[in-house]
Parts: sequence; C-alpha cells; structure tokens
Amino acid sequence: MASILIVEDETAINELVKRNLQLVGHQCVSVFDGKTAVSEIQNQSYDLIILDIMLPGLDGFEVIEQANKTPTIFLTAKNSLPDRIKGFSMGADDYLTKPFEMLELLARVEAVLRRTQKNASCFEAGDIKIDFGSHQVFHTGRLVECTPKEYDLLEVLVNNRNIALSRERLLELVWGYDFEGDTRTVDVHIQKLRKKLDWDDRIKTVYKLGYRLEAGR
Amino acid sequence: MKQRIFLTTLALFLFFFNLGIFIVSVTMFRDTVNRAEERILGEHYFIASALLKDFIAVESRGADLDGSISLLLKPYSYLSGDNKTRLALYKNDQLIYSDQNASVLEDNSLKPPVGGNRLATIRKASNQTYVIVSGKLSDPYHSYTLVYLYDTTEAISSWSHLKNNLFLAGFALSILLAFGLLLVLNRIFRPFKQISRTAKDIAGGAYETRLPVSGGDELSEMAQSFNHMAEEIQLRITELKNAADQKQQFVDNFAHELRTPLTAIYGYAEYIQKAVMSEDDSLSALQYIMSESRRLQTIAFQLLELANLQNNPLTCEELKVSDLFHSVRQTLYGKLAGKYIQIEFCSEIETIRGDVSLLESLLINLIDNAIKACGKDGHIDVRAAMENEKKTISVQDNGKGMTQEVLSQITEPFYRGEKSRNRNDGGAGLGLAICKQIASSHGAELSFISRPGEGTTAKITFTTSQ
Repeated sequence: MASILIVEDETAINELVKRNLQLVGHQCVSVFDGKTAVSEIQNQSYDLIILDIMLPGLDGFEVIEQANKTPTIFLTAKNSLPDRIKGFSMGADDYLTKPFEMLELLARVEAVLRRTQKNASCFEAGDIKIDFGSHQVFHTGRLVECTPKEYDLLEVLVNNRNIALSRERLLELVWGYDFEGDTRTVDVHIQKLRKKLDWDDRIKTVYKLGYRLEAGR
Repeated sequence: MKQRIFLTTLALFLFFFNLGIFIVSVTMFRDTVNRAEERILGEHYFIASALLKDFIAVESRGADLDGSISLLLKPYSYLSGDNKTRLALYKNDQLIYSDQNASVLEDNSLKPPVGGNRLATIRKASNQTYVIVSGKLSDPYHSYTLVYLYDTTEAISSWSHLKNNLFLAGFALSILLAFGLLLVLNRIFRPFKQISRTAKDIAGGAYETRLPVSGGDELSEMAQSFNHMAEEIQLRITELKNAADQKQQFVDNFAHELRTPLTAIYGYAEYIQKAVMSEDDSLSALQYIMSESRRLQTIAFQLLELANLQNNPLTCEELKVSDLFHSVRQTLYGKLAGKYIQIEFCSEIETIRGDVSLLESLLINLIDNAIKACGKDGHIDVRAAMENEKKTISVQDNGKGMTQEVLSQITEPFYRGEKSRNRNDGGAGLGLAICKQIASSHGAELSFISRPGEGTTAKITFTTSQ
C-alpha cells in the first residue's frame, strides 16, 4: 500500500495507470499538468511519482527538480537514448516508455518501492498473513509450511493481485525462462497453495487465461 | 605541372646560357691565338728580311757565312726583350743555330714547306704552348730555314682562367635563377593550390568555405565562379537537409501521435482481459478504447486528406464570397453554442475562384483555431477584402496569441502550440498543415501575425490574379 502521484496529461492513460495501480492496492492521485503536480508534491508526501515528460505548463524534467527526492518513474513516449539518459541523470528511479504492459508497469513500481523501502512488509487477507521480510506465511496465527517455489508463487500472486496471470507468465516469473517443465507444474503448485491456505475461493481460475488472486478490493 | 614548367625552363636556360659562354670562350681563344700568330709572323718576317740583308752583307765582305751565323743571329734572340721567344736556324734540315733554351725545337723536326710560304703551327710541350713559325729565307739562301717560336702559355692560361671564371659565374647564376624561378612559379601557382585545397574542403563537407577574390584577372574570375558554385552547392545541400529534417520530424511526430492512442487501446484491452472489475469499470474501459480508436481514425483520415491535396488537382470555380461565408457560419453554429464568442463576417469582394469544399474547410479550420484560442468572451472577425490589388481573406481573434517561436512551426504536421500533446481539445495536429496545403494548391499564401496576449490574425492572400 503506497501512495502514488500520477502526472500524465492524457486522460485515458492517466486513468489506465491509476486503475492498474489501484488493482494491487496502491492509493493514487491523478494530476494532469506540471504546475498542479508541483503544488501537490509540496502539499503532501508521496511514496512514488509516475511522471510524463511532455506536460503542459512545466515539463517532467522541471517537475522532478522540485520533487524533493521522491522516487520517480518516468512514463513517456520519448524513447530516444538522450531522453532516457537525461531522465536518469535527473534522478529518475526508472524509465518506462509507451506503449507499456500492465505487468511491466506493476513490476517496475514494485521494484522501485522495494528499493526505497516504502513497500508493505506484510500482507493480510482474511485469515492469511504473509510476512515478506521473513518469507513466512501464517494461517490464523499458525505457521504454514511452504516450499520455496510455493512461496515465490504466492508472492507473485499477491504482488499482482486482482490481475489474471497466464500459466506461461507464472512459469516465467516464478521458475524462470530456462525452466523446462510444462504449465502443469503451475497447476500443481496452485492446487497445493489453495489447500494449504484454504484459498479455493480467492485463487480463481480464469477461463482460457490462467489464475487470479482476488483480494483487498 | 609546376615542376614540369620549372624543369623545362631551367633546362632551356642552362643549355642556352652555357652555349653562349662556350661560344664566347671559343671566340676569345681564336682571337688570342690569331693575335699571337700575327705578331709572330710579323716578327719572323722582320727577322728573316733583316737576316737576308745581313747574309748579303757578310757574303759581300767575303767572310764565311756559316761561321758568323751565331753572331748574326744573337741580337735577334733578344728582339722581343722578354724570354718568350726562341730562334733557330736550319740549313738543309741541319740545326746550325738555336737559342740556349730552344730545347723544345730539338725533338721536333720541322719541315718548312717548299717554296716561299711560311708555316705557322701551335704546339704544346710540357705545360707550355708555343706558336711556331718556320719559313725559308728567300733566294739565294733558300737552304736556310728560320724557325721562330713564341711562348703563348700566359695568354692561353689567362684565357683559360677567364673561361673558368665565366663558367663559374654561369653556375652561380644558374642556381640563382633556379631559386628565382621556383619563387615566381610558387607565386603563380598559389591560387591553383588554394583552389584545389578549397575544393577538397568543400568535398569534405565544409560547404561554407570560399576562395578569396582579389584583382580582376582570369584567376579572380575563376575564383568568383568557383565561389558561386560553392554557394549553389551549399544552398542545395541546406535545402536537402531541411527537407530531410522535416521528413524525420514528421515521422517522429507521427510515431508519437500513434503511440498514445495505441498505448491506451492496448492498456484498456489488457485491463478488461485480466483485471477484476465492476460493470461500470469495464464499460468505461470500452469507452476509452473506442474514443482512442476514433482518434487513430481521425489521424488516418486527415493524413489521407493531406496526401490527396498534394496529389490531386482541384476543381476551381467562381464562388460568391457571401455564399461561402454563409455555409461556414452554418457549420460553425454548433461549435459556437454556449461559448459566448462573437463572430462577425464582412465581405468587401464579390467573388473568389477556388474549390468550394476545400475553401470551406480551410475557413472552418482557421475559425476553429480562433475559437480555441479565445475561450469565453472572444471576438472573431472574418473579412474578405482587396489588399494591394490582391484578394485576401483574414480571420482575426482576440485570444491568447502565440510567441514568434511557436508561430514559425504551427503549419508543420503534428505540431502543437503547447509543449504537451494534449488532445483534450480534439484534432490530430494536422489542421494547419492541411490549411497550408489547401492555400498553396489555390496559389494562395497563408500567413499569421500574432502576439502573446493580443490575439492572432490568419491571412490567406491569393497571389494569382484569379
């Protein structure tokens, strides 16, 4: 649960980013131009800023100068190398170009939050509590034994909660690109997680797509 | 080229110069020898005739001729006063008298010619050069041969000295000439070198390089035309570069223009596919997908229109300006509703030649921009008039205006006055590019005058006499 400021002048994209971030439980504020962004940053403290470069009023580079070192991810259509370099040299934590994929945006936000230690140290849903620091899972206060892969899978599901993840994507994210097993490995681990955590109703099978953890909405 | 000229000139000079020196020295040598010969012949003649008289005198006294010969000859040995002459007398090839130092003659058997002639020869012996004259005495003493010898070593050596000096001086002069020639040639060839260097520079990409033009000779004329050529090349290159830059800008802008709606469409589709959402969420996501698709469609349509304008000839006809204004006003009616903008049409000319729909869309575009610039309480003045004997239509607003920098780029495709590319006011950023194209296909010029805060005037000036 982080508070995130989205600065993007295109309403459609601003709304899209906001919805995606809200799915995984972040709190978002949308602003549409540079001047409002600066005053918003000065009035309130944010854990992260998602910042476009081409903005009316002040542009993204001018905004980041007044961002008081708030972690910032540039989200822009400018994908030339000089622009990227300028972005990073001005203190951006990451640089994402349009068009972007939902999971990529979430992963990068997650990574920046983890680096800047603004990430939640634990996650709770119903009877289940997950401690990210010690990699431990509790069911109504009792420790649940999980294999490392089961824990990794659980963490991916939690970080991308409310979003459907395909079996292939899960395989990629949990087991890595070079894993040679097939997607049934995913099904087996999902079954085990459901049983151990009593999460039959939360880990949903999405028809023709994969699995989705529904929590915290 | 320079080297060739240098070498041939130098070779020719050296040849004729040395030939001259050679001829002069040969002539001098001849002269020296001739003079010596003449002198000796004279002296020989004198001695011979004196000796003859002496012989006759001796014989008439009845004395022994052969015994008194050395006595008779002695005084002649000292005739010339210096030690350069020698005297010898032969009788029937027998030496009967000679000077003490006449050793030269001993090993040279002289055969004077038969008859009264005298023989003059030049002879070299042990570093000495002699002129020798031998001749028989006249009758009755023709058995006697008088040989007279003159040492010309000094004259010859002074000649040889002179000759050496001449050649030495010639050599020194040749070196000087070579240097001088080199300098002169360098000077003459400097402009050529400069031209070739400049040409190389230009070929290497330094198109602003020019030759210095001085004086009024052929070279400066050549430099002038060379500079002219360089200028033309520079101009063409700049034009090409600008065109390429513009194209690149267009492509960049186009890519950017496509990227935003595509991001939204893809993003919302992914959202619908994967996210947990309410009915409302999914409906609004669909709404975004549709509006962004429409935006892409608008861009495609306008690009096509721009391309068509560039390629197709237009159908021109005589139009009534009042009719044109009327239909424009009708189209704009919807846009003006609720915006509190006053718009005034004023026509001072009757007709104008052009394509109805294109001129209409041109005017609507311009007025549309004016409306966007005005906001509330705006005033827009549309006027058709004659200016400097040319028909013009102008659209004047009292809106926010633009800076000079923005003004210079507004007719470029996808250009946005604002730094961001906010599409909240609709449009694909191709409006003014299309306007410009419509104007130019009518043979008209589209110009803008604007000041920030004071409003903008767009003016179409029909340059052709239509």
